[in-house]
Amino acid sequence: MECEACPQRPPSAPTPRWPDGHPLLSAPPGQIGYWDSGTGSLTGKRGNNLPTNMETSEVPFQPWAKALYEERQRTQSKNDPHARCAAPGGPRQFHTPFGLLIYELPEAKRVLILSGGGVRTWRVVYLDGRSHPQGDALNPGFLGHSVGHWEGDTLVIDTIGFNEKFWFVRAGFPHTEALHLTERISRPDFNTLKYEATVDDPRAYTRPWSGGWLINWHPGEDFEEYFCTDNNRDAEHLVGR
Amino acid sequence: MTRRALSFSAIIVGSLVWAAPLPAHHSFAAEYDSTKPVKLTGAVTRVDWMNPHAYFYIDVKDAASGRVQNWAFELAAPSVLQRQGWTRSTLKVGDVITVDGTRAKDGGNHGNARSVINAATGKKYGAGSSEGQPGEPTPQ
Repeated sequence: MECEACPQRPPSAPTPRWPDGHPLLSAPPGQIGYWDSGTGSLTGKRGNNLPTNMETSEVPFQPWAKALYEERQRTQSKNDPHARCAAPGGPRQFHTPFGLLIYELPEAKRVLILSGGGVRTWRVVYLDGRSHPQGDALNPGFLGHSVGHWEGDTLVIDTIGFNEKFWFVRAGFPHTEALHLTERISRPDFNTLKYEATVDDPRAYTRPWSGGWLINWHPGEDFEEYFCTDNNRDAEHLVGR
Repeated sequence: MTRRALSFSAIIVGSLVWAAPLPAHHSFAAEYDSTKPVKLTGAVTRVDWMNPHAYFYIDVKDAASGRVQNWAFELAAPSVLQRQGWTRSTLKVGDVITVDGTRAKDGGNHGNARSVINAATGKKYGAGSSEGQPGEPTPQ
């Protein structure tokens, strides 16, 4: 699979695949490694960000959301719940530092997305055809309720049911419980994970918008134990400007 | 996952060396003032080899007053430090060190370390500071 509109990349081995041909998003048997998360943004074109990303000035904020975003920037993200060890929902999980693993369990018909950093978050994506819970059966949470399916070489994840206790990206773009997230994950070559998300939250944005970034494969190592809650002393010193 | 059932088109991965940034779990700019560098020498009183950041504490004597104050310095996470040559016993209580870093904005005896030099051995260690790394809020 070619990666359309990807930044220039070093040479890589081809995408590893399952017997039925769809991409393997983890390490092949006999190898170890993880996705070197930690950077990347839904907006801007620098670094590993997709060149198709819009600039932050183009994000279709609702007025209150724009004001809140600007306040978060002005105060230098001092109130970011992630610095208080809140779980990283949505795209935040893909740029939480200290590694990312994506394991597909075909027998269980689900994908597990594991964060090496933060509070050691693991998200379940159901591939068994189930629907989202409806009405009061949907309990808002940090990770929401995720269902997925493969479209060719792309894993498409649909998630609703988020709470408002976290920032879904490091940049601090606001969201509400109405957030509906569509993520598209592919592995255009062995060393590259392509992550894209479409943000659909009509309470916070005037229309859906998308962005993404590439994540490098870190071969030959497993990530180590990391719990943000172990000895987090930053919160009391985060004063901002 | 049934490994035997898998076949793969890729067998060998080249040993690519990525310019991996040093990640942090919080905004550097919200906590530390890049316009206030600090360089202090003192004896280590405590080491916390823990996540999300390792910490060390040193007693620093003011040359003029003779008063001793205890300072805390934040390092990167242990896994990041290990890649830069540290182990959990690199700093020991009683070691005299010189730390180069950035002072906290709240004005306390607290800072982010950029590097540490062990006075006895002369060896210098990078501290994995996330200052100026991608993902930091843009100064306004």
